[in-house]
Parts: sequence; C-alpha cells; structure tokens
Amino acid sequence: MDKFSLLQYRALIRREILEHRNLFILAPTFLAPILFMAMVWIANQLDPDDLGSMISYLAMLFNGLSPVEMAPIFMLGGIPFIIVLFSCAIVYLLVTLYQDRKDSSVLFWQSMPVSNLKTVLTKIVTVGAIAPFFYMAVLFGFYLVTVIWLSILGVSHDIEIAGIGYMFMAAVVSLLLLYISAIVATLWLLPSVGWLLLFSAFARRTPLMWAAGVFIMIGFLEDFLFGTQFLANWVESRANPNQYLIMSFGDVFDRIFNYDMLFGIVVGAILIAGAVLMRRFID
Amino acid sequence: MNTIKSLVLRNRYTLLVTVLAVYVLVLVLEGAITGREVRVIDFDNPFFDLIVRNFEEFMDDSRQNRDADQL
Repeated sequence: MDKFSLLQYRALIRREILEHRNLFILAPTFLAPILFMAMVWIANQLDPDDLGSMISYLAMLFNGLSPVEMAPIFMLGGIPFIIVLFSCAIVYLLVTLYQDRKDSSVLFWQSMPVSNLKTVLTKIVTVGAIAPFFYMAVLFGFYLVTVIWLSILGVSHDIEIAGIGYMFMAAVVSLLLLYISAIVATLWLLPSVGWLLLFSAFARRTPLMWAAGVFIMIGFLEDFLFGTQFLANWVESRANPNQYLIMSFGDVFDRIFNYDMLFGIVVGAILIAGAVLMRRFID
Repeated sequence: MNTIKSLVLRNRYTLLVTVLAVYVLVLVLEGAITGREVRVIDFDNPFFDLIVRNFEEFMDDSRQNRDADQL
C-alpha cells in the first residue's frame, strides 16, 4: 500500500469519526458517568462497615493474583459498553451509506479520488476497530476513576489496598481482551455487517425495514419453496456470543483461523461487494 | 460477459436480486454439502426439558390426559 493510499484511508477514517462522533465518542462518554454515579449511589446505601469489609475483601481477593487470569471477570464490567457499542454499530451500518445519498454528499465523495471500495472498507474498519478503540479508552477512564475512588474509600477505612492495584491491572488486561473480541466479532459477523451495508446502500427510505423484511422474506421463501432451512440454520449457528468473545489470548488464533470464520468472511465479502456496486446508483 | 454485467448493473433492483441470489445459492450449497442439520430450540434445565420438535407430542399427550380426566 503506497503512501497516498494510507493518506486516503486516514482521511476517510477521520471523516467517519467526525460525522459519527455521537455514536462512537459521546455515547460511551455519557454512559461511563451514569454507571459511576450508580455505583457511588449503591455504595452510599450500604452501611460504612459493610462497605469497608467489602473493599477489604476485594483487595484480598485480587492481591498477588495474575492479572491475565483474572481479566475475564472484568469483561463483565464492560457489558453495558458492549451493548451500547453493538447498538451504535447497527445504527451506524444502517445509516452510513443511506445518509450519504440522502444529503447528496455521495456526489462530493465520488468526485474525489476515492473509490467506492475504499469508502465501504473504511466504514467496516471504523465499526470493527476504530469505534471499539474509543469505547475501550472511555472504559479505561471509567476503571481508573473507579480504582481511585475505591483506593480513597480503602484508605479512609484503614484498609491495605495493594490488591486494588492488581485489580486495576486485571481490568486493563480485560480491555485488551474486549478490544480483540470486538475485532473478532466484526469478522465473525461480517455477513451481518455486509447485509446492513447492502441495504443501507440500496434503500431509498427506511433501510432497517428493508434489511429486516427481505431477510424474513428470503427465509420464508426457502422454507416454502424448497422445504429447507439452511438460511435459518446458518444464522442460528452464528448467533452465540461465545463464538467471538475472547476470554484468553491463546484463543485468538483458533477463533480466527477456522472453517466457519473463513466461510463467513466469504459470504460477508459477497454482500459487501454488492454494497460497493450499489454505491453507483444515486437517487 | 459484458451482457451479464450490463444486465446485473442495469438498475439497483437487478443488482440486489443478483447479490441475494448468489448469497442464498452459496449458503444453500454449503449447507447441503456440509449437511448442516435443521436445528430446533432445545431448552434444558434441571426441572424440565423443552424441545420444540416434541411440542406436538406434548400437546397430544395433554389432550389425551384431559379426555381421560373428563371420562
């Protein structure tokens, strides 16, 4: 890849971040303080002695333990962020190409030396690697503030807080696992990503209705005409989050290089190619 | 080749239908070759098992039980 292509991708990613900063930056930034305030409120409801013994127990539990082994516990803390990221990703994929045509900015971008393929690939990279990076950055801030708050509470209760340092390290390792999980999830769910992009590029209005309606209709037609359920089986076989959540670094290779993952990427590529070609039809 | 290309890219609807046809074809062929089984929703817990495939048997059993009770 030459320097000009890298500059083009950099500019396209910057554009995506600027256009969709509400989904990628503001959404987790609003979520983190809400969760922190909820934690503080719950802590205030507890008896001070109970709170002290709870912090003491946490500090003892994590003291001296390997952060890598304890990291999966902190992945649970990221669940609200993952849910918001997932929802924002669906909204982004449905809206992104549709919005380009609606506000006619597609005409401007097509006049630039940027191909439709590069534009669509940038959108996939944005949703799979850039957006999770912002979410993990906010989550890091959330964990940092929480650890500082716990340390202050621990000191005020005369508790040995060395274990809270180990807890923080485990939380940081969990962020890395969550980030890798987000990338693996994007590859695993590439057919869904391609499907949403295809209908975002196709629909003149209500892309969500088109995407959902055509999906249901095709499944119904297959069952009705051929009496088979390969499409439904295919979707069901890829719907389990355990297939793309990475709980240990050793799992990464197995999750990426297996038949189901590679076949999913092929199917996703068909739909993404459709979305790229669909970009030539402008309302 | 050019004829096919111009036919597929004639308008957005022909392109959509072509992409969906290729998508369905690939999935169905892969499903048939690998013998992807039709799955049903299995719900296991310590208290009872619910298998949707057996739902009709369950309905028949309960109907027979109800008839027996009425007699």
